Amino acid sequence: MPPHSDAGPVAGPPDGGWGWVVVFGAFISIGFAYAFPKGIAIFYKEIQDFFGTSYSEIAWVSSIMLATTYGAGPISSILVNRYGSRPVVILGGLLCGIGMVSAAFCTSIVQLYICVGFITGLGLALNLQPSVIIIGRYFLKRRPIANGLAMAGSPVMLCTLAPLNQFLFDNYGWRGSFLILGAILLHCCVAGALFRPISADKVSVKTQSIEEGKEVLKEEVTKDAIEMNSPTNIHMETKTEEEEERDCCEKVNKYLDFSLFKHRGFLIYLIGNVLMFLGFFAPIVFLAPYAKHIGIDEYSAAFLLSILAIVDMVARPTTGIIANSKWVRPRIQYFFSFSIAFNGTCHLLCPLASGYTGLVIYSVFFGLAFGMVCAMLFETLMDLVGASRFTSAVGLVTIAECCTILLGPPIGGTLIDTFGDYKYMFIKCGAVMVLAGTFLFIMNYYNYRMLAKEEKKRKAKEEDTKPQMAQMKFKPVLLSGQGITSTLLMLALAVKSHQIF
Amino acid sequence: MLRWLSFVVPGESDVHVEKNIFLGSAVKIELSCRLADKHSHMKILQVTWKKGNETIKHINKTEISWGIQLTVSENRKLGSYTCTVTGEKEFSVVFHLQVPQIAGREKPVVSYKGDSAILICESRSYTPIAWTWYMTNGSEQIAINDSLMLDKYVIDKADANVTHLKILKLTEEDGGTYWCEAAFELGKSKGKLKLKILSLMVPLKPFLAIVAEVVILITLIFVFELYSKKKEKRAEDEKEFDQIEQLKSEESNGVESNSARHRKV
Repeated sequence: MPPHSDAGPVAGPPDGGWGWVVVFGAFISIGFAYAFPKGIAIFYKEIQDFFGTSYSEIAWVSSIMLATTYGAGPISSILVNRYGSRPVVILGGLLCGIGMVSAAFCTSIVQLYICVGFITGLGLALNLQPSVIIIGRYFLKRRPIANGLAMAGSPVMLCTLAPLNQFLFDNYGWRGSFLILGAILLHCCVAGALFRPISADKVSVKTQSIEEGKEVLKEEVTKDAIEMNSPTNIHMETKTEEEEERDCCEKVNKYLDFSLFKHRGFLIYLIGNVLMFLGFFAPIVFLAPYAKHIGIDEYSAAFLLSILAIVDMVARPTTGIIANSKWVRPRIQYFFSFSIAFNGTCHLLCPLASGYTGLVIYSVFFGLAFGMVCAMLFETLMDLVGASRFTSAVGLVTIAECCTILLGPPIGGTLIDTFGDYKYMFIKCGAVMVLAGTFLFIMNYYNYRMLAKEEKKRKAKEEDTKPQMAQMKFKPVLLSGQGITSTLLMLALAVKSHQIF
Repeated sequence: MLRWLSFVVPGESDVHVEKNIFLGSAVKIELSCRLADKHSHMKILQVTWKKGNETIKHINKTEISWGIQLTVSENRKLGSYTCTVTGEKEFSVVFHLQVPQIAGREKPVVSYKGDSAILICESRSYTPIAWTWYMTNGSEQIAINDSLMLDKYVIDKADANVTHLKILKLTEEDGGTYWCEAAFELGKSKGKLKLKILSLMVPLKPFLAIVAEVVILITLIFVFELYSKKKEKRAEDEKEFDQIEQLKSEESNGVESNSARHRKV
């Protein structure tokens, strides 16, 4: 793993054990956050007829929900910085439940905007970010796998929610379905309950106290071996560590870490991702309409999306495993840029696909590329900024991505309406993503080189200060050596005296 | 307004070919049947155009196609017209002239007591002259007159191609089958819709069941966490105690051995 320039004092995350339960909770939480806005689209036709509105007015519900989920990222980050992941996710689950239950009793479309769009969207935002953050706290060596598994929640939840929503709708109408969906969303609270808090500070303090105890006892034993420097040395070490901890605590307590905007890796990630999201979601939105446009029937068109979801489901954990291997992990940023460019190339080649078989092949590759990008989306950010600053980083990134995510499909729609042909939308999405991938690749190459240089400088500094430390370390060794020789001498004398005796 | 419509269907031997033609308004129509290319050299003995039992005079358009011209201006003229060609083999083609079909809704519309429901019928390709709504009372179909019951039924006639029936203040009796009937120039056509009325208790039961399940799960998780924390703390205290004991014993051993040697000396 390439060194990041500000590794905080994160003492060994568990990398297993309860961490896998946390991954399961994050799976559910992230799954709801991504899949729910897409899942309730089934109800829109009925609600549109009920309130007598146009299609675009209903589409606002989705847009508001998506905008709130991404735009409330910083709020999420602030709350997690202050209170930790668990209370925030439980609060998020409650908000989602309240939002949907109140939506069941709505009497106008504006009330739906508020209940479904705003309140539920906010609840989902409070689910998404903390889930990703807590994975960074529980995992280090196996983090890519954990991220890949947790992100796989999105396609699995989508495949589950789609038929479930249809079943609920057929049996209970849209009002009853919203009521029951509110209860189902409360499972996010269950996921939150699994997010047992783990703080790196506590772990290091505990081991420290035991170490300190040992040191104190050793001092008592080798009294003659103690030089003035060593105890102060030990005390200095503990003191600086305590000070560092307090600084870290202050940083954690500070609301949102805006100093990230000076962080080179963060800026690269931000620009690359903001660009990428301009072409990320539009092809999914328009895949089924495109299929119908070239003459494929409705059910086969819907099946294309199912193929995409299934391939996506498998691709995410697999990408996690690949990203965790010792060849890829140090160069994970390149892998990420490659998958974005691969995704873009798929879109560029889509207009060449003719007939249903061509579209099936496109769906398979698209699902693969989509899964690869999503699995590494947060892993690469964690890799660049480190687990301690990730909390603020993810909030800032999501609010920046919010704009392009919302703009992507409407721009695609405008292109389709202007030219009457879907291929320009695919070309635009493909071009944007290939550009983003190339940008990330080049900038990360530059970033790796700069990091390597900084690491060399840091090591050189350490080498300079080492001889001084070595001197101080030598003295106690010598003096304890003195202690040993004195006892040996005494032993020899004893033997001699014994012999004499 | 009369328009010309022409349909040609190639006939295949031993295969009964049917074609549905929907007529929204009165038209002049020409129907013809033609031999498929592979049978074009078949010797023709007889060609007949029939509607039911009545034979219609046809014209020979070409060597291998025969047609009839009709002015469909009233309901009586709709029906099934058959072209039968007898030669070495016999084949026939049937044209079904009918009014446009109205698609209802297969799955019932679900709504709740006290709420309102909207039933929609549309006929996009052919514009009907008028729409009428019927509700079934037992086995009878009763027309819904919205001007009589203004606070119960509202029929929206904004768009000629679409009709909305809004039923307010729903009760249990409002459930059942509804028909929307579109009147065209040449006849009427009906679409079927079903309305299901539920009480609020119906979705409330699964809702409460799921909420109870969530509460139980959360309680179990927290109880398990408290229990495992207690276990951990106990284990840690024991470990620390052991460690301190170990260090103390190491120290005392060292002192003892020194003093022993001293004593020996």
